[in-house]
Amino acid sequence: MRRNKRNLVLLLLFVLLLPLLSGCWDAMEMERRANILAIGIDEASEKEQEKDGEVAHLKKSFQMPNQKLIKVTAQIAIPGRIPLGPDQGGDQKPVLVMSVVGHTLEDALLNLQQQVADELFLGHLRIIVLNENVAKQGTKRLNDFLRRNPEIRRTAALVVSKEAASKYMKLAPDLDRVPSLYLADMVDNLSSLGRFPPSFIGLFWTIYSSKGQEAYLPYLTIKQKDIIELKGLAYFKGDKMVGKTSPLEIGVFMAVKGDSKGGYGAFVHVPGTDQMVMVQVRSRKTKTKIELKNGRPHVRLKVRYECEIDEKESPKVKINDSKVLKSIEKETAKDMRMSIEKLIATTQNAGSDVFGFGEHFRAKLPRYWNRNIKTKENWEAAYQQLTYDVKVDTFIHRVGMKAK
Amino acid sequence: MVLFKSSQRMKKLEYGKGSEPCAVLSSSLDETTAGIKQVLGDNDDLVIKSFKVFGQYEAAIFYFSNLVKQDSINHDILKPLMYVPDHLKDRNRPLSQLAELITKETLYHSQAQPEQSMEKVIEFILCGETVLIIDGMEEAIHIGTRNVEKRSISQPETEQVILGPREGFIENIQTNLALLRYRLPTPDFQVKTMKIGRLTQSTAAYCYLKGIADENVVQEVERRLSEIEIDAIMDVGYLEQFIEDNPFSPFPQIQSTERPDKTVANLAEGRVAIFVDGSPFALLVPVVFNQFYQTTEDYSSRFMMGSFVRMARMLALVFSLIFPALYVSFISFNPELLPTEFAIAVAGGRAGVPYPAVVEVLIIEVAMEVLREATVRLPKQVGGALSIVGVLVVGQAAVEAGLASPITVVAIALTTIGSFATPAYSAAFALRMLRFPIMILAGIFGLYGVVIGIIFIFNHMLSLKSFGVPYMAPVSPENYQGMKDVVFRAPLWLMPRRPAFLNSRNRRRLSQSNKRNGFDHE
Amino acid sequence: MENTRPITTYQAAAILISTIIGVGVLPLPLFAVQAGDTGAPLVTLLGMVLGAIGLFILTFLGIRHPEKTIITYSEDIIGKVLGRICSLFVILFFFVLTGLAAREFGEVVVTGVLQETPLEVTVIVMLLLACISCRNAINVFSYIHNFYLPMLVAPVLIVVALSLKNADPLYLRPIIGTNLPHMLFGTLTISALFQGSFIITMIIPFMKNPKKAIKASLFGISISGGLYLLLVIATVAVFGAEEIKQIFWPTLELARTTALPGNVLQRLDVIFLAVWVTAVFTTLFSSYYFTIYSIQQLLHLQDHKMLSCSIFPFVFISAMLPQNLIQMYEFIKFVGRVGLLITILYPGILLIIDFIKNRRRKENASQQT
Repeated sequence: MRRNKRNLVLLLLFVLLLPLLSGCWDAMEMERRANILAIGIDEASEKEQEKDGEVAHLKKSFQMPNQKLIKVTAQIAIPGRIPLGPDQGGDQKPVLVMSVVGHTLEDALLNLQQQVADELFLGHLRIIVLNENVAKQGTKRLNDFLRRNPEIRRTAALVVSKEAASKYMKLAPDLDRVPSLYLADMVDNLSSLGRFPPSFIGLFWTIYSSKGQEAYLPYLTIKQKDIIELKGLAYFKGDKMVGKTSPLEIGVFMAVKGDSKGGYGAFVHVPGTDQMVMVQVRSRKTKTKIELKNGRPHVRLKVRYECEIDEKESPKVKINDSKVLKSIEKETAKDMRMSIEKLIATTQNAGSDVFGFGEHFRAKLPRYWNRNIKTKENWEAAYQQLTYDVKVDTFIHRVGMKAK
Repeated sequence: MVLFKSSQRMKKLEYGKGSEPCAVLSSSLDETTAGIKQVLGDNDDLVIKSFKVFGQYEAAIFYFSNLVKQDSINHDILKPLMYVPDHLKDRNRPLSQLAELITKETLYHSQAQPEQSMEKVIEFILCGETVLIIDGMEEAIHIGTRNVEKRSISQPETEQVILGPREGFIENIQTNLALLRYRLPTPDFQVKTMKIGRLTQSTAAYCYLKGIADENVVQEVERRLSEIEIDAIMDVGYLEQFIEDNPFSPFPQIQSTERPDKTVANLAEGRVAIFVDGSPFALLVPVVFNQFYQTTEDYSSRFMMGSFVRMARMLALVFSLIFPALYVSFISFNPELLPTEFAIAVAGGRAGVPYPAVVEVLIIEVAMEVLREATVRLPKQVGGALSIVGVLVVGQAAVEAGLASPITVVAIALTTIGSFATPAYSAAFALRMLRFPIMILAGIFGLYGVVIGIIFIFNHMLSLKSFGVPYMAPVSPENYQGMKDVVFRAPLWLMPRRPAFLNSRNRRRLSQSNKRNGFDHE
Repeated sequence: MENTRPITTYQAAAILISTIIGVGVLPLPLFAVQAGDTGAPLVTLLGMVLGAIGLFILTFLGIRHPEKTIITYSEDIIGKVLGRICSLFVILFFFVLTGLAAREFGEVVVTGVLQETPLEVTVIVMLLLACISCRNAINVFSYIHNFYLPMLVAPVLIVVALSLKNADPLYLRPIIGTNLPHMLFGTLTISALFQGSFIITMIIPFMKNPKKAIKASLFGISISGGLYLLLVIATVAVFGAEEIKQIFWPTLELARTTALPGNVLQRLDVIFLAVWVTAVFTTLFSSYYFTIYSIQQLLHLQDHKMLSCSIFPFVFISAMLPQNLIQMYEFIKFVGRVGLLITILYPGILLIIDFIKNRRRKENASQQT
């Protein structure tokens, strides 16, 4: 009994002490946070350079880095404007789009905070759009802040845009009430549709950190007024973007990378005719073998495609004959091999090993790696000298529901 | 009321404790009558009827007119005494043998006993028996004519089932024990009674199955019951507060039930049941926490159904404890956990609400508690209407007035409904109560606070004991056999043993010859 | 009625597991990768083996003295004065460990979730929780560990299982790692994470069957070590060694990268942290309990309950000593390595002396007869 009483006193003390000690430090109601849903990062134009907010530094005291200022455009959700439940949407714009300039992302966001009443909240940041020019200058100065901030989702999307990133923030697609959500969903769905290998900001960092591979990001462009299109794959060298591919080459890239989810199709010339059929890739299987040929790295790539024919151009081609199919398979394989080789050659010129061959060497030939390579820079140089041979097998399994 | 009037004088007599030597009856009828009148004389419902036994001895009977069966007195007592029965007509009827003659050969009543103590005699009268005093005899004869109005056996209100017996205990302890006896026609079934309460002299009984219940527990029950010193026992809940292990815990450590079938099932597992006259509830000890979300239906229905329903109930239990706290921490601390679309929508719903989420939830919760209490107290017909008015109209109005966001109302509604799904009222109440500190913790530390609160509660529960049995058994301390009956309910034929934590001496529930035998062969 | 030896083998294993798994879960992959690059899983395994050696020494010692804890039997083995001095070091070590665990916990919470909340408050709350729970008897101590065990194991397994989607086995190779001597040094840091197993010395005197302590130790170390190993493998496979070097708490980052299927919750890190609180609590609870229980034994006090509150302020102060996160981790690593002297070397010496003494006693006995 006595012990119980003492326990009770302790419990009471505990309960009484807590509110005294506390002040709900971290409580910040959801509607009082300015939810940043998307950020677009551009180079600041000469005129905008002047607008630097002097929030985090005084102009003179800051040792100006050589880099230009960046312009950050943020899309902020306005509580109450985005309706709860269906069919309540008014004509008001549900988001607020604001632009600020700064030396780094953090600097810019501090400037932004200066202009917004509620506390900025990055927990719902779904997508970051980098303008091509910014990407080419390097992503280092953005990464550090994003990595340190615990609010940032590691699964947020990071994309490169052809146009000014601020334009993406101002888009108003009709399909979703919140524009950035449409954008984010679109990017997120790319990989599940097989249009793009998995890509999110955490993966970007992971690849960037590892020594034997280079990062890649989706490359977007604005088609018409409010339509966005996946225009290719931006590949990086270190933290700097060095080039982009065509949309079809994304499929090729995925083949080399070993991403099994197929989504791309291509017209293949039917041998012996002047007709084309559409060959759609359903899945792929990639084997990467590495070896040292005369002390130099060599890659042997074996890709196996499982395809089906979706469409033929004219009734002249008969695809209900297994011989014809065989020849189409061969033709496809040849086409594929050529495009793979071409893509590898292109990236070699840029010195960007987006395929991650270097990781294979690091993992499987540690002695060679430790003696000759060791650093990312060395591998970038070695990659340009990499030799490879590619073997492609194609199998057409289905031709759809039509017999002829 | 009658009893209370005489309470002062009764105190002087100090019943039951035997601290004073018993006053012995005198052989003079007048003297005894005067003595009884002195104690009980103020009462108008005390009947003193003088007559002559067999037409030869002066006698009187004493009884309270409201407590007895009048017919029985007329026919079974007065008639044979006043009109000499045929078989006694020719015999000699000396005073010395009168007591035996009357109890054994005259009265048509099974409960007729001689008694010498004045104190006892008065007690018998107070309890509704009839006392016969004959001039010149040093003993009184008391005859069990007690007849108190009791309600008929009806459905238990607090523990309804869809499938299962419909009987419930009533206030009369004899009926309750009868209900058990009828289900347990075994010599092992033991009933021990004692009187508790200086004024009420309530009969308390504890029963158990000999050879199954742990002797230590039975002795402990006996000890704790006999230590109770109180003037009045109105309900078995009074006893509960005296015998529970840790009165400062919000969790009930004794289960109360209205159902005879449940009581019998628990007796058969090795528990002890405690009754008190005047209360339609039985107390079951020792208990473990998981009993509070189990119902008899879990066992009487097929095992899949029982398991499923039980899991749903557990979920409701968890809901009723932490849902509002989780809500608060999601809204105020970690909105990044919610899907973006939903988060923005919620923020929209809350846009007009002036208070932080904690305050908002606390206000609505308190309102809900008030409403709930109000509906319990109101007459049934009004209650239904009020709850609808309360929930629908007030909720709707609160949302429209911007006092609360619609999602808050949804969250609180879910919580409230969840707390109704816990079958044991006292356990549900514990969680209802603990919800508030957790909510406050959530308001201070968010999710972290919720977890701290939960750890605190669990640690407390783990340190609790009910009559020597750890409260969280069989989860911790672990028992594989017992775990079959915690989250889900294994088929009856797979549970061959009684719960190990009850330390029953006879562990087997199924006999070994059982066809579907789940015995693990030792 | 009270049983004086209430702890079953299963409970003893549970106590070991939940004591070992604690604050260390978060930075573990970082420590491992710092030591062995891609050889991190191997480093973890070696650390686990080293930890197991220490644990088994303690278990053997405990079985030889089934009625006593290390505090009391050390007096028998190496003499009263020396034994007591050594015990003092043991107590001091666990005292500091308690403070550091609370501090590390506070740092993670303040950095990761509650940025505005003062560090002191989170630390105090956690210590209070342990302090109050320590007022219970030893059987409740074991019930508590037993009860929380599934809650420690489940989240780790869930996060690991869900993260496998993003895993790349290439990151795990070469398995041997690159720098061997460096790796062996790192093994010490990792095995320091297994220091919680010292609690076994306190448990054996309460075990129903002290002989089975070996079994409990085996289970305890292999399950907790297996879990650690799994975690390291998963983090390295998902992030690669280079990325891990850039993250303070790779495990937390792993939880951040994984989303529940169906987007029920957008990220798991906060949930993971919340559940991880339980893991920290059990560890803290153990070291706190060990500290006060040992003090009670050392001073031959009646009851340990009163001590629980009286050392509270001192533990709190020791928790507040490191200035910042970086200093704290340096300190933790240092204390961890020094602790190995106490948790492995000291019991080892004890065991050897005990063994020799016993031998001699037997020889003497045989000579006399």
